[in-house]
Amino acid sequence: MDQLTGILTAISHPSRRAIIGQLAGGPARFTDIAKPFNTALNSVTKHLKLLERAGLIERKKQGREVFISFRGKPLRQVAGWVHEYERFWNERLDQFEHYFKDKKKKEKR
Amino acid sequence: MKNSKKTLEFKFERTIPAPPGEVFDAWLNPKIPGNPWNMAEKLLLNPKVDGFFYWLIKGNSHYGRFTEMERPSRIQHTWMSRSTLGEESTVTVTFKKQGEDTLMTLVHSGLPDTDGGRGHEKGWNYFLDMFPQQFGDASRRESKGEL
Repeated sequence: MDQLTGILTAISHPSRRAIIGQLAGGPARFTDIAKPFNTALNSVTKHLKLLERAGLIERKKQGREVFISFRGKPLRQVAGWVHEYERFWNERLDQFEHYFKDKKKKEKR
Repeated sequence: MKNSKKTLEFKFERTIPAPPGEVFDAWLNPKIPGNPWNMAEKLLLNPKVDGFFYWLIKGNSHYGRFTEMERPSRIQHTWMSRSTLGEESTVTVTFKKQGEDTLMTLVHSGLPDTDGGRGHEKGWNYFLDMFPQQFGDASRRESKGEL
């Protein structure tokens, strides 16, 4: 499996994306990462192994505890696959949607 | 002659909190943020069937011709820019009533699949900007397919 395939596989699962989302806010211990999941700890361990293999997380020992942190650099490769029109329309449609949401909020006041 | 070049199609969906007629009109109003005609350095826009548009942004020219205009449900136009390499791509926008809201679907098809069209460094910035939403916001749905 090449590195890009490994990264895409790692971010293809919603639980792993949730873990990345959680770790994007800062390093966490295994127990903190596992807490929101209603699955066996073994399954969380498997998700973390895949993320680690893709280089998206790293473990660091601090005293007696191991902290897991997010590494964004491998996602550069994924970003290379974002077509400029994906970016363009997403940005435009987000602005368009926000315009109507703001308008609705103002009307309610 | 059949075009055998590999092309890409992108599909985007948003739920807009307004009725289809209002959303349709806003999509064609250059003053409304987020539609393709907003923030133009120069704009010529004739939104009717066989009407043309010219849109200049950041020094990049875009041209197209409206092919369908069915208020309040559907707009289709061609789209040519530096990135389409002289080929006509097609943008189809549909507006479907969904309770009090509008389900807006935009499909951009017939885009040449070239390295030049891909994001690279800019894509990285985009990805970072979108990061929290990409992983957290279930209202965003999009798909990409190779044709």
